[in-house]
Amino acid sequence: MWVVAQQQIDPGNLARVPGTSFPGHFSKVMLASVILGAVAYWLMQYGVVKNKVMNWVGMALFGVGIILAFAAVPSEDPTALIRFCFSVLAVSGAMGFVVAREPVHAALGFATAVLSSCGVLFMQEAYFVAAATMIVYAGATIIIFLFVLMFAQQTNLRAYDIKLTRPWLAAGIATALVITITWSVADEGEILPIKIDTTRVNSLAAQPLSDNGTPPMPTKDMSGKQVASFVPSKTAGLGRAMYTDYLMAIELAGTILLVATIGAIVLAQRPAEVKS
Amino acid sequence: MNIANTQNLLILGGVLFSIGMVGFLTRRSMILLFLSLETMLAGVSINLIAFSRLHLNYQGQILAIMVLTVAACEAAIALALVVSLYRRKATLDVEAWDELSETLVPKEPEDAIPSVHGSVSEPVHEFPKLVPAGLDPLAKPVPSSLEGALETTVHSKSSRSTEATTRA
Repeated sequence: MWVVAQQQIDPGNLARVPGTSFPGHFSKVMLASVILGAVAYWLMQYGVVKNKVMNWVGMALFGVGIILAFAAVPSEDPTALIRFCFSVLAVSGAMGFVVAREPVHAALGFATAVLSSCGVLFMQEAYFVAAATMIVYAGATIIIFLFVLMFAQQTNLRAYDIKLTRPWLAAGIATALVITITWSVADEGEILPIKIDTTRVNSLAAQPLSDNGTPPMPTKDMSGKQVASFVPSKTAGLGRAMYTDYLMAIELAGTILLVATIGAIVLAQRPAEVKS
Repeated sequence: MNIANTQNLLILGGVLFSIGMVGFLTRRSMILLFLSLETMLAGVSINLIAFSRLHLNYQGQILAIMVLTVAACEAAIALALVVSLYRRKATLDVEAWDELSETLVPKEPEDAIPSVHGSVSEPVHEFPKLVPAGLDPLAKPVPSSLEGALETTVHSKSSRSTEATTRA
């Protein structure tokens, strides 16, 4: 079956999605913002244990870095401000997660970061992914809270919570990484056109792209009947793409989940008593 | 319009990924290491969604769902591992499991015990001792010529089990 299906693909039959070029430049303001963030991280992680003034100075530097970043990034559409607020919340939460020494505070920072990035995903009209991420991560965070309350006494912090391993080195590596990413993203360049396989049965990718900047949305079900539903068209299209074009991937994801469940059960078992 | 949007989101994803990496490199509590990994995965899925929006198709969202699946599996397995590791040593410190790393690599300078000459002390290797060939460790009686060899070489657990079988 597989061989036959693959032989039927004709390269001329593949739909092309045109690439677009990135206009942009890497401004020195952005560089300053990244470096300010790194310095703020170092000051905060030191100050949160040793010196309160350094902590406040670090927070102030972080705020200045955020303002600089807002000045540097191009913002043309009106929703950019809301998206920027979500991004600031996400980055601040992640920073608090990295800096905080109490495990419970760190878990709170993590929850803030993930929920705000879910807000960003909502604004990109990825409704299903945002909702699923929220459910999975909220569940994971609650479980983490449970674990933290179980394992770590809240009364006194342990040594391994307080002492970090070489924060200056990690901050340096991360700064280099962020600068590289920002540079390559903001530089001029072109995204190459991609091809989409449209030879599957009922393939969503075979439907023509609409002009108003929306992904193709199904208005008919698989038997050709007109559908009326309350599901947002983006989510319906995602579901249709999942079960036509990417069926194998979704089946594999299910398999991975099953295997991981079995593995977790095996790992969490109490070791059997050795009979003497 | 979409290009600036995508650029900002890519930078946001990179920043989240890097902060997660900082957490992974610096933190020592196993639970927080796991949370750092999840932060990195959140940055990756923001990247994927941004490209999905740019190309106006669902490939990125499908990949984000795959990332989410892997994150969920990782959560299950990591928490099970943390439980079973905590049961052994009653600590969440990753450095308690230092012996799982390569033994030939010298320890980090801040942890090494300085010897008289100021050099890093080499770890002592202990190789497993084997039973003399052709002998069943549980079989009794042992030939008298090999009795002494067996006593010194057999692992303590198996010698205990031989005592148990002889008593029975």
